[in-house]
Amino acid sequence: MSSQGGLLKAAIALSLIALLVSLAAIALLYSQIGALEAKINTLNGKISELESKVGALEQRVGELGKPAPTPQPQEQVELVVIGPWSGKSAEYFSKVIQEFEKKYPNIKIKYLTKRAEDLAQILPVQFESGLTPADVIITPWAWFIVKMAQKGYVEDVSSYVKEDEYIGGVVNNVKWDGKIWGAPFTMWLKPGFWYRKSFFKKHGLQEPQTWDEFVALLKKIKQIPGIKNPIVTGDGVGWPESDITEHFLITFGGPQLQYDLISCKKKFTDPEVEAIFKEKLVPLIKEGYFSEPMEWTSAVERWWAGEYALYFMGTWIAGRVQDPTDIDFFPLPGCKAVVGGTDYAFIPKFTKHKEAAIIFLKYIATEGQAVHVSGPAGKIPTWKGVSVDVIWTPMKSVYNKIKERNMKIVPDLDDTVGGDWQTLFWDQLKLLWVQPDQVDSVLQTLTEQHPACKG
Amino acid sequence: MPFREKRYFLFFTLPAYILIAIFVITPIIGTVIISFETKNGFGLDNYVKVITETSPEKALVYLRRMPRPPPWGAMIHNFIWIAIHLPLSILLGLVLAYLLRSVRGSSIVKSIMFLGMVVPMIVGGLLIRFMYDEFIGIFPRLFALLGFKGILAKDWLIYPQTALFALILGAVWLWTGFNLTVFAAALESVPTSTIEAAMIDGANSWQIFSRIVVPQLKPAIIIAVIMTVLWDLKIFDIVYVSTFGGPGGASNVLALVMYLYFARALDYGRSAAVSIILALLTLIPGIWFIREVRKSEKG
Repeated sequence: MSSQGGLLKAAIALSLIALLVSLAAIALLYSQIGALEAKINTLNGKISELESKVGALEQRVGELGKPAPTPQPQEQVELVVIGPWSGKSAEYFSKVIQEFEKKYPNIKIKYLTKRAEDLAQILPVQFESGLTPADVIITPWAWFIVKMAQKGYVEDVSSYVKEDEYIGGVVNNVKWDGKIWGAPFTMWLKPGFWYRKSFFKKHGLQEPQTWDEFVALLKKIKQIPGIKNPIVTGDGVGWPESDITEHFLITFGGPQLQYDLISCKKKFTDPEVEAIFKEKLVPLIKEGYFSEPMEWTSAVERWWAGEYALYFMGTWIAGRVQDPTDIDFFPLPGCKAVVGGTDYAFIPKFTKHKEAAIIFLKYIATEGQAVHVSGPAGKIPTWKGVSVDVIWTPMKSVYNKIKERNMKIVPDLDDTVGGDWQTLFWDQLKLLWVQPDQVDSVLQTLTEQHPACKG
Repeated sequence: MPFREKRYFLFFTLPAYILIAIFVITPIIGTVIISFETKNGFGLDNYVKVITETSPEKALVYLRRMPRPPPWGAMIHNFIWIAIHLPLSILLGLVLAYLLRSVRGSSIVKSIMFLGMVVPMIVGGLLIRFMYDEFIGIFPRLFALLGFKGILAKDWLIYPQTALFALILGAVWLWTGFNLTVFAAALESVPTSTIEAAMIDGANSWQIFSRIVVPQLKPAIIIAVIMTVLWDLKIFDIVYVSTFGGPGGASNVLALVMYLYFARALDYGRSAAVSIILALLTLIPGIWFIREVRKSEKG
């Protein structure tokens, strides 16, 4: 027993020594890394200075009418690009990659799929360790790019992205400290309620022109045999409900309300906002005009099969149906704006192929957009240099319809606020959909937890 | 033990100690430090803010809607999880192991039961999601066939009243296989002579089970209880995939709150504070387990 006790003490002593040694080693490493980081930062500062000078020079050359050719890497480089697309959407993005590789044969792209949610989990830790899983990262969360930029993890791309070349407000989402930290890619829109033209024709239905006509349409659809609910509600983690809600808010509160809710100039408990919820949205939910939330991709299939007549969804739905020429949409009557969301590309500070990453970033922010919107990705360009003629035909009609109605494009409310409020917003709306009587509690919670309202 | 043997013993265990020190102890120390880090140095700010949080998505105890339906707060949900899941899965595992012990082909049934443990919990979460789907889910379809028209015939995961309980029920299905396997293995070691003696003395099946078998399975029951409680406390993947803690935070759990602070709010201090609270909660059954093991060693 005593020898065992002695052995145990020796083992504990040894483990403590091992712990101390490892802690000392880590401390030593940290101090070395700190010194190294300081040197790298100084170097990066010099490089950025040089780059801005080169950028300015390029601009001057451009002004002289002699555009500077984009330099190509001398040696073969493999760039790792992370984006949010999978399945068909990834196929549409691969066309952009193919065209890029044709133009820049020395740069090969390795594309990996990662959702924005997963990136938010992985990237901060990797960046903290001075690593990056990719050379260029594309995400719809502008707020996340800005947050990473504030921590010093993102390359400043102000020299390569010219704000006036993009549609209004798009670049602003990725600006901080007077600099631009991400490049806009293509944009999706959430224009209104999608329907099958053949379904409307078969049942003699018309697009509504007034709110009363809209309610009458829902009533009429509900009476059609085989219809479960007039509108199908997509669900995932809750974002489809947020899109419907934002559309109601913009329609009845005007486009400015969207900005006011983002900045908390107006609260969710404001009488105007409360009225929109209580007089317009909640009565429709209570009447059973909306289905209960269901997984959004299976909702597409059920809507297409005729179990539901309307589906509020983004323009990407056009790329997910068998016959995109059979679909059309209408916004709520009187709606003056449409929510648009953009994917942004950024370059992490820790990339080993900065030069090639910049070339790719510049490409997808400009010419690459033309390639992407010409296919069935369901997107429109944010770069003004893309001609409307190249846009995929079903999307062109969406684009024209929005133009005809003189609708503005406003940013997505929850994507812009971001953080954990976004998931709270989705989750509270999921609750509202199944318990519309909870509207007061939902609005109060959304106000109390809004980061801008907290101050 | 001679000195030479001691040296060998220490030599061969040293790599393990070093690895544990680097990969287990150091991160734990790091997490503790981060949990106390504040803007002004060190303090209890993170703990105070985490405990007093009022958002239904992150509250550990959500007082606003008590005693009405969920949410009640992530920590309370974890306790409810233990209160329902622990007795159900232990009892089911124990009874099934006892009933199947002498049935021909019982290994096939046990293997099927154990499938719940073999599938990754993320897949388990997806299966649970389908299990309660209004159109294809076995439970809503069954209740619809029986003529129910309310919540029970719809998607159980989208209603705050049913979401948490539906997940717990799904977890019973996933976890019972583990308890069944533990008890089946322990039953092998129960001497048949004691059961035969009881039968000769006129004991009925229930008396044999409750007075002969169960007391002899005590070490296995302790292991099953401790493993189940720990699993219930750190439950994450099933909730993440099936409901993400919703609707309205009705099925939220501690590990998900930790995740939300970490990956959504990017607030590492509060995330670390939640993880420390979670670790302290797991220490309670852990200490109890060690005491029980020591008691049985002395006995």
